[in-house]
Amino acid sequence: MLTIIKQGWSTFKSIFTGMGVTIRHFFGPSVTLQYPDERYELPENSRAKLYVNIDDCIGCNLCARACPVNCIDIETVPATADVDLGKTSTGNPKRFWLTRFDIDMAKCMYCDLCVHPCPTDCIYMVPEYEYSEFDRTNLIYHFSNLEPEKIAEVKEKAEIEAAEKKKKREEMQKAKAEAARKKKEMEAKKEENEKSGDDDNAPSKPESDGGE
Amino acid sequence: MIELISDTGERREMTINMGPQHPSTHGVLRLELVLDGEIIKKVKPHIGYLHRCFEKYAEEMDDYAKVIPYTDRMDYVSAMNQEHGYVVAVERMLELEVPERVEHIRVIVAEMQRIASHLLGIGAFGLDLGAFTPFLYLFTEREKILDIFEKVSGARLLYNYMAVGGLMRDVHPEFKEDVADFVKTFRPKIKELDNLLSYNKIFINRTANIGVLPVEVALNYAASGPVLRGSGLKWDLRKDDPYSIYDRFEFDIPVGSGEVGTLGDCWDRYIVRVREMEQSLRIIEQALESMPDEGDVMEAIPKRIRMKEGEIYVRTESPRGELGYFIAGDNSASPFRVKARAPSFVHLSMLPAISRGSLIADMVAIIGSIDIVLGEVDR
Repeated sequence: MLTIIKQGWSTFKSIFTGMGVTIRHFFGPSVTLQYPDERYELPENSRAKLYVNIDDCIGCNLCARACPVNCIDIETVPATADVDLGKTSTGNPKRFWLTRFDIDMAKCMYCDLCVHPCPTDCIYMVPEYEYSEFDRTNLIYHFSNLEPEKIAEVKEKAEIEAAEKKKKREEMQKAKAEAARKKKEMEAKKEENEKSGDDDNAPSKPESDGGE
Repeated sequence: MIELISDTGERREMTINMGPQHPSTHGVLRLELVLDGEIIKKVKPHIGYLHRCFEKYAEEMDDYAKVIPYTDRMDYVSAMNQEHGYVVAVERMLELEVPERVEHIRVIVAEMQRIASHLLGIGAFGLDLGAFTPFLYLFTEREKILDIFEKVSGARLLYNYMAVGGLMRDVHPEFKEDVADFVKTFRPKIKELDNLLSYNKIFINRTANIGVLPVEVALNYAASGPVLRGSGLKWDLRKDDPYSIYDRFEFDIPVGSGEVGTLGDCWDRYIVRVREMEQSLRIIEQALESMPDEGDVMEAIPKRIRMKEGEIYVRTESPRGELGYFIAGDNSASPFRVKARAPSFVHLSMLPAISRGSLIADMVAIIGSIDIVLGEVDR
């Protein structure tokens, strides 16, 4: 009997202590936010969306290589000798046309690893969080600011230049090969001459070869 | 209707599935229960619904740093502790010296994360047993921690804040005041939680003498963390195998004592978590005091990690128990093998041993009290 009363009393007491806490909270300040009407202000260095300042990008591909999920897709075309792309705001010379700089925000895991290796600090996270889409392809952000015609033009130009360079290189290589062949022939002739001139001195020949 | 008594008059067992879409299995866990009436005769946990190949991913990455965001996603409730374990393991392998300031910030954020994780664990535990109010109050507190973490790292849940040899970025200038404020406002809330939930008679009736885990069974199953301490054994890796700078701080290890029921029951495991939050506050206070104000947190981060051949196993105390990382490195820039020893996985394996003979309703309490995170079980 006594234990039942004791139990009943402790139950009664514990429930009312709990109720007291609830009532105290009831008169406390509200902690919720009515979302679409009020908005939570994110801290300025919050990581919510990737942004690229394409004017500062030099196309070094370091961010794409740092990405663990491969959500950054960069295609660059080397600028031809007759164009000067200028410099970034940090003073790095730009050497590439950025024909493609796509970031797939649906893939991005917001890890911040692409931000740190950037030499010009042009890729960073911004505190914007309302960018949901109905179509997933809309989450692929295209940061390249070149028009398709321009891209085709620079690609063609770069190809021509590359072909020219290749041709030049090939010619040079050919010339080199030719020279080497001639040299070899000369040496062979020289050797032959030496051989015919001095037949008995066989052991000393490798040494003289090495020297040449 | 399923007949429980067969034609010959024998009692039949009934098999039901609990989960994977059950609100109190804490994620996508499926339990195959063999029941005799309402009494559980057999439990078989089925896992793998959340498997994301963490270990294989770690091998495929071409940098040790790229694994860190994936460790976050293992135990998404205590991401800082997961990162901490991994970076400590890689640093020990590289024999890297870490600046004082970095170590202090790491300890502070790890302990805050422990509090946040326990708040969620306790809150969800109460929620499973029908106590809705404490859940909301605890989440209010957890929100404050997440707000500080957002200012510190930029993210609220998956931080990728720690780097090998340092931190990804320095803390914000008001970090110390923010944390000190939190510590001050949070202490009275633990008292409030005691009033509201811990000593509530209904809660005690639902948790005391339920899911008793004797210390020998716990040791046989390699339990660790609050589950093992709930069974009365003083074992905390922060004290017994100190990593980082935990050996400098003064704190107690709360253990279960069977205060309201049997030693090692659900209530004991619960109260260990509550008391641990107080000790975490103590560690945070001491760390705040000794934390150097100046110093570059990124100076010791190696540009490119060149690992030598070898292997290491480092265990750290995560909010759920012993979190171990086994890393085997070859001479390349990516780990040859990464194995994570997840405490939740171990604790889930002893579920059949402690829930045999209890009611279905108690099963909910037992799962809640061992506080598993399925992201960590499946990895």
